[in-house]
Amino acid sequence: MSQTMSSAKRREGLFSNENRRKITWVLFLLPALLIYLTFMAVPLFDSLRLSLYQGEGYTPTTFVGFQNYIDLFTNQLWRGKFFGAVRHTFIFFAIHMVVQNSLGLLFANLLSSDFKGRNFFRTIIFTPATLSVLVTGFLWTLILNPNWGAVNKILVAMDLRQWALPWLGRENLALPIISLVSSWQWVGMPTVMFLAGLMGISDELLEAARIDGASEWDIFWRIKFPLLKPIIGIVSILTFVDNFNAFDVIYAMAGARGEPSYSTDLLATLFYRTGIAGEHPVGIPNMGMGAAIATVTFLILMAGVLFWLYLSRRQLAEEA
Amino acid sequence: MRRQKLNQVLTYILLTIWSVIVLFPLWTLIINSFKPQKEIFKDPFGFPKDFTFDGYIAAWKTGRFDLYFTNSLIVTVLSLTFILLVGSMAAYALAKWKSPVANFLYVFFIAGLMIPIRLGTIDLVRLIKALNLQDTIWSLIPVYVAMGIPIATFVLTAFIKELPGEMFDAAKVDGASEWQIYSRIVLPLMRPALATVAIFNMIKIWNDFWFPLVFIRSEESRTVALGVSLLFGQYRTDWTRALAVLSLAAVPLLILYVLLAREFIKGLTAGAVKG
Amino acid sequence: MKNKLFVMLSVLILASLLLSACGTPATEAPAVATEAPAAATEAPAATEAPTAEEITLTLGSWRVDDVAAWEVITAAFHEEYPNITVKFDPTNPPDYNATLRTQLETGTGPDLYFVRSFATGRELFDAGYVASLKDLPGITDTFSDGSRAPWSTEDGESYAVPIIAVSHGIYYNKDIFAANGIEIPTTWEELMTASQTLLDAGIIPFANGTKDAWDINEVVMMQFIPSNIGGYEGRMAYLNGERCFNSEEMVASFQQIADMQPFLPTGFEATSYYDSAQLFAQGQAAMMLDGSWSIGPFEKDATDFEWGVFYPPALEGKDQYVTFHVDAAIGANAASPNLEAAMTFLEWLESPTFAELLGNNLPGFFPLTKDVPTLSDPIAADFMAFNDAAKGVDIRFVWEKLLAAPSGNVDAYTSLNNNVIAVLKGEKTPQEAADAFNSDLAAWYEPAAGCAP
Repeated sequence: MSQTMSSAKRREGLFSNENRRKITWVLFLLPALLIYLTFMAVPLFDSLRLSLYQGEGYTPTTFVGFQNYIDLFTNQLWRGKFFGAVRHTFIFFAIHMVVQNSLGLLFANLLSSDFKGRNFFRTIIFTPATLSVLVTGFLWTLILNPNWGAVNKILVAMDLRQWALPWLGRENLALPIISLVSSWQWVGMPTVMFLAGLMGISDELLEAARIDGASEWDIFWRIKFPLLKPIIGIVSILTFVDNFNAFDVIYAMAGARGEPSYSTDLLATLFYRTGIAGEHPVGIPNMGMGAAIATVTFLILMAGVLFWLYLSRRQLAEEA
Repeated sequence: MRRQKLNQVLTYILLTIWSVIVLFPLWTLIINSFKPQKEIFKDPFGFPKDFTFDGYIAAWKTGRFDLYFTNSLIVTVLSLTFILLVGSMAAYALAKWKSPVANFLYVFFIAGLMIPIRLGTIDLVRLIKALNLQDTIWSLIPVYVAMGIPIATFVLTAFIKELPGEMFDAAKVDGASEWQIYSRIVLPLMRPALATVAIFNMIKIWNDFWFPLVFIRSEESRTVALGVSLLFGQYRTDWTRALAVLSLAAVPLLILYVLLAREFIKGLTAGAVKG
Repeated sequence: MKNKLFVMLSVLILASLLLSACGTPATEAPAVATEAPAAATEAPAATEAPTAEEITLTLGSWRVDDVAAWEVITAAFHEEYPNITVKFDPTNPPDYNATLRTQLETGTGPDLYFVRSFATGRELFDAGYVASLKDLPGITDTFSDGSRAPWSTEDGESYAVPIIAVSHGIYYNKDIFAANGIEIPTTWEELMTASQTLLDAGIIPFANGTKDAWDINEVVMMQFIPSNIGGYEGRMAYLNGERCFNSEEMVASFQQIADMQPFLPTGFEATSYYDSAQLFAQGQAAMMLDGSWSIGPFEKDATDFEWGVFYPPALEGKDQYVTFHVDAAIGANAASPNLEAAMTFLEWLESPTFAELLGNNLPGFFPLTKDVPTLSDPIAADFMAFNDAAKGVDIRFVWEKLLAAPSGNVDAYTSLNNNVIAVLKGEKTPQEAADAFNSDLAAWYEPAAGCAP
């Protein structure tokens, strides 16, 4: 508020402080904007335009209006694939929210207090994120393998043979399991972000609460959690956006078709199969439809992000 | 006091359980990279009976991985530097410039996170070709910087908005320019957030092999991720070799993480700003 | 006021930036412009090429596995043509099509590249990315029409030199067979009896699984079909619409899949192609249906026991047909500045020297030339012997004409794959699976329109 008042005082002509300040802001924004426009925004938004075209290859040329969208929502095959992928992507996202982000919050809370070996544990939690998804896929497929996997060997040894299932081969199990593996790999990310938030909370505040006899449980929910809300929002949005573009882990553990029987097919694998790779074994891409899938995904994400922005602005307004 | 002890014991128990869940697969990774192919599947979780360095040797014979590692490091470090620099500048403006333009640009930047990057491949290849950068590692850097900007502006803007406003007002009263405020106050305070952004992006950049695949042909310009992709055959994969390279490929990232994490903690302890 | 003006101005500038960016002309025009001069400067180089100048050609491929073998092959070529060097430059197989396509569309493609059979390669030819081989000397003499067909137009115009065929069979563990008193079965019924014996003895009869999906389709189902339908002529009856895709022959093939189900590993749903190969190589499974490309890997991995191959026997009373599938050809990039040198290489691919080098450096990949060289690898020779012993030889069932379904329809490969897995999981009976296969195809494959339920 003080800012606008001070600037209001100094308005004077075209080269006023007001305009000079604007030019400063533009200069701050310009490098990022130029790189982002040239190497990302223009190629991407230009390619979304392809959703209005049909034809061979990556630059289809026959203009068809909204036909691709009509097909996507009315053709039985496309509709089935698309809504299947939407459903799977939401499940994938939900599991990450519940498992990855809750664990991240828990670990960050544990790591925010001072104890011996803190750095060691922090590094351990982060390590899986440094692995290539190819490794994660290989290792967990090996561990879950029905023939020589550790999980089933342990289950058999514990006389729980009926629980020794072909984990990645069952339609109702594969997606949750792959989501858990992905959470295992990326839990270090929310941990890092929550940790930053928690370490910013002043020790005096927490100490005061402890002296008043509040339990750690109360301190977490009554003090830390409310203060972390903005970061929880950011982590959720990043998880949301990341999961809706998630591709690698499915590709590494279930292939481009989202085996078994498309049960792990996400929006990003559907896009890849449709627009980039084409169905095995022909491999002729349908870029128009691929771009249509990407556009609809984009709209879903945009709606989600704008909703979050609206919520966080309202929260800010309430606080102020 | 006793309650504190109990809490600490609980902390250790929980973290130890998780460490086992993390270390068991890692252990599997490392021991298997020292086993001959046959033994990997015969006894995947046991200690190697037939200890061999073949995977590491063979990997170096099939590709010049020393070169690939250098390339990947150059690309990753330069891209990260640019992302942090231009991203933090943009974020400062987005956070402090109260204007619809800034609001629009904020959403516009985040929008880049929402479209699969492969969609723009053809346009990008044309652009790189027009700039005469194809087949060099320099072709990758602008693309990775552009890919990193959305996440950088998103996280950093949110962070700067959280900083107490009085600090900026005080500096302004002292007559500091925006540039001075940015470089002397905001940047040092932003350390944890910058480290977070760097961590997010380094993983994406290091492991990406799609752009090397379409931009790069010659051996001299290959990155680790591209070199790794060539170890996976159509029907069979020599897992001893693949695991050897893949374990090594994680090491630079782990080192970068430890370095960044140190910065991150330094930043946090230096300026406990929130309350 | 000024404030508003400034905001509007910046929004306008941004909007115009965006619009000009999104509109086609702005982005594509410069790209075209930059491509044109490049082509212009490269053109004279092409005409100078033949004068003993050093030329390096790149050869794109999806066979990452074969780098060593291709080094031998291209070295032999270089010896004959010292001014041309061919560099084998493979891409990881799943991304081959996409990468190649990107490079071709942006003018950064390799000079020579592996071309997939039928629809995939044809599409590249129709788009003008593969050079015509109409004038390549010897192509019609070296290869039969049948071998050229997957890479030629209806008028017989070739666009790629056929180089590789693959065969299929059942790899079996001789030691396990001997220990259980099993002879090589000559009918399907005998094979099933043998499998029961093995299962009773606590051995996994077949190593195959369905986690990767493609293998159960390509190396299992499509091995059964030719003997049931009567090879090439039988397949033509389907392609011409004389038979429907749920004919009794097709139901019989799905029935064979159902027959096999009890003899697959427990947890076959989560058993990948790679796992299957390991089960066989470790001696845990007695047999594996697989392609001839596995000769090399098994010779390396399965060293603890004797093994061999036999062909999946036909049902009692049926003739034996063999799936001998056209796999790869090499074509020249129509936009290559070194087209002439590329043609020289393609012509060399017709030579007996190349056939010999390929057949013996890559056991299990068979040259497609009319005159087949003698193969030194005994298992590879066994595979070739299947062809002579069988009543006939044919390619995989769905490849010709049935792969490229129009958008919104299921192609034959995918439909067959899904239905085979449904039968194995007990979700469909063989009859239901064949009916589903038929209705998927009747929906778009015109000759089969009359078969619609």
